[in-house]
Amino acid sequence: MPNALELTGIRKSFDGFAALTDAHFAARWGEVHALLGENGAGKSSLMNIAAGLYAPEAGQLLVDDNAVRFAGPRDAARHRIGMVHQHFKLVRPFTVAQNILLTAPPPAAYQRHGERLRAIERAIRDKAAELGFDIDPAQRVDALSIAEQQRVEILKVLLAGARILILDEPTAVLTDQEAARLLQTVRGLARQGAAVVLVTHKMADVKTYADRVTVMRGGRTVATLQPAQTSVAELVKLTVGESVAAAGFQPAKTARGAVRLSVRGLRTPASPEGRRVLDGVELELHAGEIYGLAGVGGNGQGELAGAIMGLPGEATEGEIRLEGHGDLKTLAASARRGIGIAAIPADRYGLALAGGLSVAENYAIGRVHTGRYGPVWRLRRQLIQRDTQEAVRAFDVQGVRSVAQKAALLSGGNAQKLVLAREFGKAPTLVLAHSPSRGLDVRASAEVHARLRAARDGGAAVLLISEDLDEVLQLADRVGVMTRGRIAGEFAQPADRQAIGQAMVDHG
Amino acid sequence: MAEASLSADLAHAPKAAPAPAPQPLAGRRYALEIRQHMAWRWQALILAAALLVGFGLSAAILVAAGVPAGELANEFITQTFLDGQNFRAVLFQAAPMILVGLAGAIAFRARFWNLGLEGQMVWGAIGATAISMWQVGPEPLRLPLMFIAAIGCGLLWVWGPAWLKLKLGVNEIISTLMLNYMAANFLLHLVYGSWKDPKDNFPYSPQFRVFERLPELGGGVGSSILLAGVVALLAWWLVSVSRAGLYLRFVDANPRVAHANGVPVRRTIYGAVLLSGAMAGLAGFAVVAGQEGRLTQAFYQGYGFSGILIAFLARNNPLAATVVALLVAALFVTGRSLQVFYQVPFSMVQLIQALIVVCVASSDFFIRHRLRRVGGEGAQ
Repeated sequence: MPNALELTGIRKSFDGFAALTDAHFAARWGEVHALLGENGAGKSSLMNIAAGLYAPEAGQLLVDDNAVRFAGPRDAARHRIGMVHQHFKLVRPFTVAQNILLTAPPPAAYQRHGERLRAIERAIRDKAAELGFDIDPAQRVDALSIAEQQRVEILKVLLAGARILILDEPTAVLTDQEAARLLQTVRGLARQGAAVVLVTHKMADVKTYADRVTVMRGGRTVATLQPAQTSVAELVKLTVGESVAAAGFQPAKTARGAVRLSVRGLRTPASPEGRRVLDGVELELHAGEIYGLAGVGGNGQGELAGAIMGLPGEATEGEIRLEGHGDLKTLAASARRGIGIAAIPADRYGLALAGGLSVAENYAIGRVHTGRYGPVWRLRRQLIQRDTQEAVRAFDVQGVRSVAQKAALLSGGNAQKLVLAREFGKAPTLVLAHSPSRGLDVRASAEVHARLRAARDGGAAVLLISEDLDEVLQLADRVGVMTRGRIAGEFAQPADRQAIGQAMVDHG
Repeated sequence: MAEASLSADLAHAPKAAPAPAPQPLAGRRYALEIRQHMAWRWQALILAAALLVGFGLSAAILVAAGVPAGELANEFITQTFLDGQNFRAVLFQAAPMILVGLAGAIAFRARFWNLGLEGQMVWGAIGATAISMWQVGPEPLRLPLMFIAAIGCGLLWVWGPAWLKLKLGVNEIISTLMLNYMAANFLLHLVYGSWKDPKDNFPYSPQFRVFERLPELGGGVGSSILLAGVVALLAWWLVSVSRAGLYLRFVDANPRVAHANGVPVRRTIYGAVLLSGAMAGLAGFAVVAGQEGRLTQAFYQGYGFSGILIAFLARNNPLAATVVALLVAALFVTGRSLQVFYQVPFSMVQLIQALIVVCVASSDFFIRHRLRRVGGEGAQ
């Protein structure tokens, strides 16, 4: 069968970080082609290139074996490529029909708006009936469930004329039954001759519904296979890489101490579809150990970190007890700082640093509550400056010409070092590190890792949440896997990489 | 983004050197980019240019309205600042303006858009007048009690919107603005009703007694300007010296970051907003006890707008707000004399204010963005 969509030798980088180095992909007419890989493997970037959202730096795009260049998603739509993104692109207060009208091709002859809307509504009803969707075109999008919104997205790209359909992690937000129904539907589309690309990290979906699978890892295409003739173990091995079993792992120098943090039955309220972002997290963290929490992003890691830091968010049931302080939920974020909780959040400029303020101010905010920088009526600016200069030197934060310069002018690695300098200024009792080396180069990552190990050896309990399995295996004394809002498994080091990978992709 | 474009610039530099092909102006394409940073000298230059444009336009309009071009400088500078009587008038006018400007600046620093400055001012004035009407306290304590009542009433009037915003997420722009109408109508109710001056039945309260009015400092300068100056210094201390100032900067820069780093975000916002209401209440006190000597029906009009624009032009800096308020007061005084001598309508003053604000607001665009030509060699 001929290739519908082909991408060869694609390269793309963002701010110097190479997301795709050498990616290849080819989907044929009439097949469901799965694109498999861990978070950050480059799946979404590659498909965004196919959908005309990004322009590649090198490589070629072919539709029906003709080379094409897209200036934007409209060009891609003209070549009958449509993508359903992981985060839906719907205008919430608009109706289904109005949303679909936005991207529908213009009519051949002039039509009044009312007429056109009615024509679209008719088309939506026909298409929905054909696919077995129960969608009312006059309903507002914000009144629909997540699964229904996804159906609207699919109708939207199909009615825009797409025959090459790209679905980015379509089952991530669905319940099992909804996911099965959706995948049946897209299989039906493929049987009618369309080409369907299914971006996913779930082995089960691949095994059951895909005709072929392409595996990506670290911005490269690793293999293209027939799932029917490949074992799950083999697929897992291809996605997570060869076992370099915990290379560079350094066990704790001292024996681990008593339980310092215990999380019991942590739950967020259920969505209308019955899903909970946190669904009964049970976790025990000892003094003097690094607990590595692995897992695919979006399985509740951010919410768990937020609950420990005390960020305003959804109210949770269950408890988070810190040894000697009782349930943390009774403490405000500022009080948690006071009892030695250090936090390195994943969102550096969204939670850790105020980019518009100076390096000194960002450093001082960590200790100003203690009275170190003077009483409430007077800030001791000279002392702040001196402390900041010392910390900048001690933690080797580069690119600081003056501590009065804006923190936003620091590079990613140096911004992270500034966060570490602030958080580790006073010996912490509990360290929460969420993707601490995301976007950092090798040297900066190594420095961050060394600081985390030093904190552990100093007796702190370290919770490392990371989507990077290599990082977890290098640092953690124990490894937990987070799936669907709960801890799906725990592994002692040296841990079996294959087993962890399996736990990450299994349905919890 | 900025870094990427920078490297693109460098990559193009050698190619661009040998005589770039002339391109038709209409065919050129420009990309708008967000600037990360701009040296403060350039920022000052852009701001100065914007002010110059604003003054130029204002001058052109005044000349068109019949003011001789040669007289403009004389009217605005010589007559206003160098004439003793006029300068006293400027200071007299400036005191409440400084106070509303500070009130705006403090609230805006906490990202709270307090558009209810006039309502809080009205309530401050009502509170002060109530002390006078009911003759609360002995004579020497009367003025301090009026001062406290003005602060308390202004503060209470903004408490509602602050609570609604922090507790229920109600948009403060609407709530503070609507409360202005309630305050204004209650004021009318009082001055047309039970507080009407029995002497002449005009819609204002009875004249305050001498010990209920802000005293003169000598030389005809009222003490209200001194009060405004002290409040400005306190505001400066609060935002620049105290710990709360650091908290405020974090809340302003990014409330999520502030919260995650242990800044008491809610308390900081409450504090700033209540302080803003208290300062606006003081402005009401400064007008009734310092200027009018009684509660009148329209004393507050225009101050809300002036307060917002003073805070805006001063970038929420208390000391700058004081200077800007003095300039706005000078504009008012000059406007009145233009009205007398050249029959220029007083609304011209508001037109000039608006023009300058629009020019300064537009200059922000050039500080935050840059235009860069794209597709110089027809690459795209």
